[in-house]
Amino acid sequence: MTEPVAVVDDFSLSLVRNGIRSRVLNGVNLRIRAGEILGLVGESGSGKSVLALSLLGLLPQASHPQTGGSVTVGGVNMLRAKETKLRKVRRELLGAIFQDPMTSLNPTMRIGRQIGERTHDDTESVRLLGTVGVRDAQLRLRVYPHELSGGLRQRVMAAIAVAGRPALIVADEPTTALDVTVQAQLLELLRELRDDFGCSVLMITHDLGVADQIADRLAVLYRGELVEIGPAADVIRNPEHEYTRSLLASRLSLTMPRDERFMQTGCDAEPAVRIRNLHRIFTVRRGGRVFGGSREIAAVDGVDLDIAPRESLAIVGESGSGKSTLLRIVAGLEKSTSGSVTLSGTGGPQMVFQDAGSSLTPWMSVGKTLAERLRPLELGRAEVRDRVTAALAAVDLPLEVAAAHPGELSGGQRQRVALARATMIPPAVLLCDEPTSALDASLAKSVLALIRDLRARIGMTVLFVTHDLAVARLMGDRIAVMRTGRIVEIGPAEQVIATPGEEYTRTLLAAVPEIVEAS
Amino acid sequence: MTAILVPSGRLRPLSVGSRRLSKPAAWALVGLVVAVTGLAVFARQLAPYNPIQPVGPLNLPPLSPGHLLGTDGIGRDLLSRTLIGIQVSWLSALVVVASGLLIGGTVGLIAGATGGWVDSVLLMRITDLFLALPGALVAIAIVAALGSGLVNTLIGVAIVWWPYYARIVRGEVKALAARPHVESARLAEVSRPRILLDHLLPGVVPTAVVSASLDIANVVLLLAALSFLGLGQKAPAPELGADTARALSQLLSQWWVPGVPGIAVLALSLIANLGGDAIRNLIPVRR
Amino acid sequence: MLAFITRRAAAAVVILLTLSLLIFVLQAVSPGDPARAYVGANASPEMVAAERQRLGMNDPFFTRYFHFLGGLFAGDLGRSLRTRQPVVFDIATYVPATVELVVTAFLIALVLAALYALSGALQWPGAALGRGTLLLLATAPPFLLALVGIIVFFGQLGWLPARGVGDFDDPGPFGMQALDTLLHGQTDAFVDALAHLALPAVVLSIAPAVAIGRVFRSSLQAVLDVDYVRTARSKGLTELQVVAHHVVRNGIGPALSMGGLQLGFMFAGVVVVEQVFSWPGIGNYLAASIPVADFPAIAGVTLVLGAIYVVSNVVVDLLQALADPRVTAE
Repeated sequence: MTEPVAVVDDFSLSLVRNGIRSRVLNGVNLRIRAGEILGLVGESGSGKSVLALSLLGLLPQASHPQTGGSVTVGGVNMLRAKETKLRKVRRELLGAIFQDPMTSLNPTMRIGRQIGERTHDDTESVRLLGTVGVRDAQLRLRVYPHELSGGLRQRVMAAIAVAGRPALIVADEPTTALDVTVQAQLLELLRELRDDFGCSVLMITHDLGVADQIADRLAVLYRGELVEIGPAADVIRNPEHEYTRSLLASRLSLTMPRDERFMQTGCDAEPAVRIRNLHRIFTVRRGGRVFGGSREIAAVDGVDLDIAPRESLAIVGESGSGKSTLLRIVAGLEKSTSGSVTLSGTGGPQMVFQDAGSSLTPWMSVGKTLAERLRPLELGRAEVRDRVTAALAAVDLPLEVAAAHPGELSGGQRQRVALARATMIPPAVLLCDEPTSALDASLAKSVLALIRDLRARIGMTVLFVTHDLAVARLMGDRIAVMRTGRIVEIGPAEQVIATPGEEYTRTLLAAVPEIVEAS
Repeated sequence: MTAILVPSGRLRPLSVGSRRLSKPAAWALVGLVVAVTGLAVFARQLAPYNPIQPVGPLNLPPLSPGHLLGTDGIGRDLLSRTLIGIQVSWLSALVVVASGLLIGGTVGLIAGATGGWVDSVLLMRITDLFLALPGALVAIAIVAALGSGLVNTLIGVAIVWWPYYARIVRGEVKALAARPHVESARLAEVSRPRILLDHLLPGVVPTAVVSASLDIANVVLLLAALSFLGLGQKAPAPELGADTARALSQLLSQWWVPGVPGIAVLALSLIANLGGDAIRNLIPVRR
Repeated sequence: MLAFITRRAAAAVVILLTLSLLIFVLQAVSPGDPARAYVGANASPEMVAAERQRLGMNDPFFTRYFHFLGGLFAGDLGRSLRTRQPVVFDIATYVPATVELVVTAFLIALVLAALYALSGALQWPGAALGRGTLLLLATAPPFLLALVGIIVFFGQLGWLPARGVGDFDDPGPFGMQALDTLLHGQTDAFVDALAHLALPAVVLSIAPAVAIGRVFRSSLQAVLDVDYVRTARSKGLTELQVVAHHVVRNGIGPALSMGGLQLGFMFAGVVVVEQVFSWPGIGNYLAASIPVADFPAIAGVTLVLGAIYVVSNVVVDLLQALADPRVTAE
C-alpha cells in the first residue's frame, strides 16, 4: 500500500470572524491516497474551503487561526512548517484550482507569464495549455485574463495547477461558477489529468451529482465534522449518516416527482404575456484602433413568445444566452431595440432577483419596504398593517420580521421577503431571475416550493429564468431553451426533458451531473 | 473531545488597516471637535483683550503675567489674536466644506441618479474640467481677481472645492443605483423623487459625511496658506496665516510671534484630522 | 492604446482652453488696469485711454478673447504691472528654479510614500514610529514646517542655510543651481546648492508623501487580500516575487492618481515655501504679485503652472494605462 499523498490527522481549527472566534473544523481525519479523486461535499459553513486552504498552508493570518492536530502533505506539516518548506511543497507537490475564475488570475499579467511562473519554459506552457484543451495555445500566451471566457480561465488555472507535476491537486468548487456544459468538460479534464499524470485530486463541491460523476471516494462535511466517508457509489446510494441522507433528499434531479397542482395546461384566453419579434442589440466599443470600431452584440435576437394566464414558463440557458436580458425587458427595466412586449391583466410585472439581499433597501425595515409597495392603493394605516401582516404570513415569516432590517435576516428569509413584496398585489406576471442559485440546496428547495404555493393560491403567471434544467422542470409547465439570444426549443416540460428535439438541448441534458439510480 | 488548539503559522501583529479606535476614544475626539467649534463661536467673548489694540509691552514671551501667549511687535495680545484667528479659520473651513458638500452633493446626486446625457455630458464634464485644473492655483487667481477679503476668499475656495464632492457623491449614487433594490423600487411603482430621497440618499450620506469630515483639515490648511499669501482680510484683522507671514522677520529673535499662529493652525489641522478619523470609525458604511 | 492617447490628449486641449477662458474672464473682472503696465503709473488719463485702444481693450468680448488666445500661442502673456517686463520673460527667468525644487520634492515624496506604504502593508517591524512621525508632520501647515526647519537647522544647529539657491553663481545653462553645478563638475558649488535645496524640498515633500503613502498602503493591503494573490502564493512563489509581480502592479493605480493630484497641490504649496525660503522661483514671483494686485502676472503664472499640471496628469494616465491594460479598454 503506497503512502497517502496527504494525511489530515485529528485536525481542529478555530478562526476569528467579525471579532468572534468560532470552531470551524473539529477533529477531522482524512487520508488522500495516491491517484485517487476524493470528493468533499458540504454546504456553506461546513468548513470545506478552510480545509482546502489548510492543505495548501494558506490559512488567512488575519483570522488568527488556532489549530490542533496536523495536516501533512508529503511528510511536511502544513500548519507548523517554516515558509520556505511550505513553498517547496507548494512548488513540487501541490496544485490548486479555485472557485472564481474571474478573480483568481492576475488581471494585469499575461497568461503566458502566469503559467511561466510554474513552468519557467514557454514550450512547456504551450504543451500544458494543449493538454487542458486550450486551442491556439501559442497565441493565448500573450493574452490577458479579461480577454478569455470563464471556462478558458479555469482551464488556464488547471494548466497552472498541473504544471509542477503535483502529487495532489486541491480543487475548491472549480466548476460552480461555470456553465453546465463547460463544467462537464472540466470534470472530464480532471479525470484525464488523474489518468495521465497519476495525481490525486481533492474535489470540493456542494453538488452531489458532480461528486458522483468524478469521485472515487466521497467524504461528507457537516458543520466542521466529517460525518461520513467511503466509496462514492456506496455513500450516495446507501448513505449511513442522517445528514447525507438529507443532502440527497434536498437535491433537485431531473427525475423527481413534479407538482400535481399544475398538471393541466392549455387555456385559450388572451395570453398574459405576448412577446413579438424582440431584439436587443448592444454596441460594444473596442479599444485598439484609432477610431475604436464597434461590435454589435445581439443579446436578444428575435424572440416570439406567448405565455397563457396562470401558466409558468421556465427559460433555460447558459450564460450569454440572453435569458436575463429578456426577463429585464419584460420587467420594463431595460428597453428593447425593436419588437414588443404586451402584458395583459392588471398589476404590472414584478421581479424576484438572484441576490435577495441587495434587492432590499438596506436601511429600510421590512415593514416599511412592504408598506411602500401598497402606497399606490392609498389605504389607511390600519389596513396597510393588516396587509403587511398577511403578506408575511403568506411566505411563512413571523410578524417580528417586519421590524427587522435586511442585514439582520438570513438569505432564505430575505428571499421570502422579496417574494412577499412581489406578490402582495397580484402581478400581471411574476418574473424570477435565478432566485435560488445563490442558496444552499435545502433552502432552495423550500423557496421554490413557496413560489409554487403562491402561484397556486393567487393564480399567477410566472416566467422563471434559470440555468439549471432540474429547476426548470420543477417550476415550469413549459420549458424554453435559449441560446445566443434565440429560443431554440420550446415545449411541455416533461417532453423537452424526455425527448429533446434540438441538438443543443441534448448537449445540455447530457452535461447535467445526474445521479444514476442503482436499480 | 476538545483538542488543544495552538496558534499556527507565523503570528503577525494585528493588521491596522485604518486605525481602529475604541468607541470611547472616538467619541472623545468628536467631543474635542465640538469643543473647538464652541471655542471658535465664542472667541470674541473668550478673548481677554481687544485683539487689534496694543495693550501691553512689545514682544513679551509666552507665559508672561497677563499675556498667556505673549505679545507681538506692536504690543497686541497674542492669545486674543489667536482666538479670533481660530474663529475665522475654523468657521470658514466649516462654511466652505458645508457649501461644497451641498453644491457638489446635489450635483452628484442628480448626475448619478439621472444618468444619460445630463450626467455624462452636462454635469460631469463640467466637474471633470474643474477637477483637472490645479485647485489651489485657480483659487488664488479667483481671489486675486475679486480682490482680497474674507468673503472673496471663501467664494474662491468654495468654487474650487465642490467638484470633489460632486465626484464622490456621483460615484456612490451610481454604485447604489445599479443595485437591485433601486430596480425593485421602480417595479414597486415608487415615484422617482421618492427613489432619490428614500432609496438613494440615505446610502450616500455616510460616505459624504465621512469625506467631508476628513476634508475639513485640508480646507483649514488651504485657507491658512491663502491667508499667509495675503489673500485674506486686510491688516490689522487677526488671521492665523497672515499673522505668521507678517512676523517672519522676527523668526529667529522672537519666534513666538510668527510661531504661535502657525502652531494654532497645526492644532486645528490635527484636531480636524483626528476628528475625521473618529467619525469614519463611528459611522458604519453599509455595503 | 493609440485611441486612448488621442482621447486623453484631446481632453487635455479642451481643459487648457477652458483654463484660458477662465483666466481671461477673471482678468476682465479684476481691478487694476493692464494698460498701466505699458505706460507707467504717472501717465495721464489720455495716454492710458490711448494705450487701451491700442491694446484692443475696447473691442467686443470674443474678439478680445481670440486676441488673448492668439497672444498665448505667440507667447505673449501681457506685461507685469510690477516689473513692467513681459510676463513671459519673468516666468522664463524664474521657472527653472521652481522646476528644480518641485521635481526634487516630488522624488523625495515618492520615496517616502513607497516606504510608508510598503512598511505598512508588509508590516515591517518598528516602522510604525516613522509613519506616525510623518503623519504628524503632514498635519502641519507647510509654512510652519518651513519656520521650524529654519529655526532648528539654521538657527540652532547651523547645518543648513535659510535662503536662496546657493552662495555661488549659477554657471548655467539650465538656470537650475544644483543641476548646472553638477554638470560643470564644480563640487563645492554643487554641495552648497544641495544644502540650499534640502530644507525647502523636504518641507514641500512631506504632505504629498503622506497622502500618496496612505492611498498606496491601503490599496496594497486590499490587493494582498485578493484571490489572485492567493493563487500566486499557491504556486510556491517567494513573498518578494508575489509582492513585486502581483501586488504592486495591481495596487499602484490609486497611488498614481493621487500622485498626479499631489503634484498639482505642490505647485500651489511651492508658492508658500518659496516665499519663506526666498527661493527665486515663480512661486515667489506669484507671492510678490499678490499684494500689488499684479493680475497679468498672476494670470500668467496660473496659466503656465496649470498647463504643466494638465500635461503631467496626462502622463500619469498613460503610466496607469501601461500598468493596467484594462484601463484602455474603456
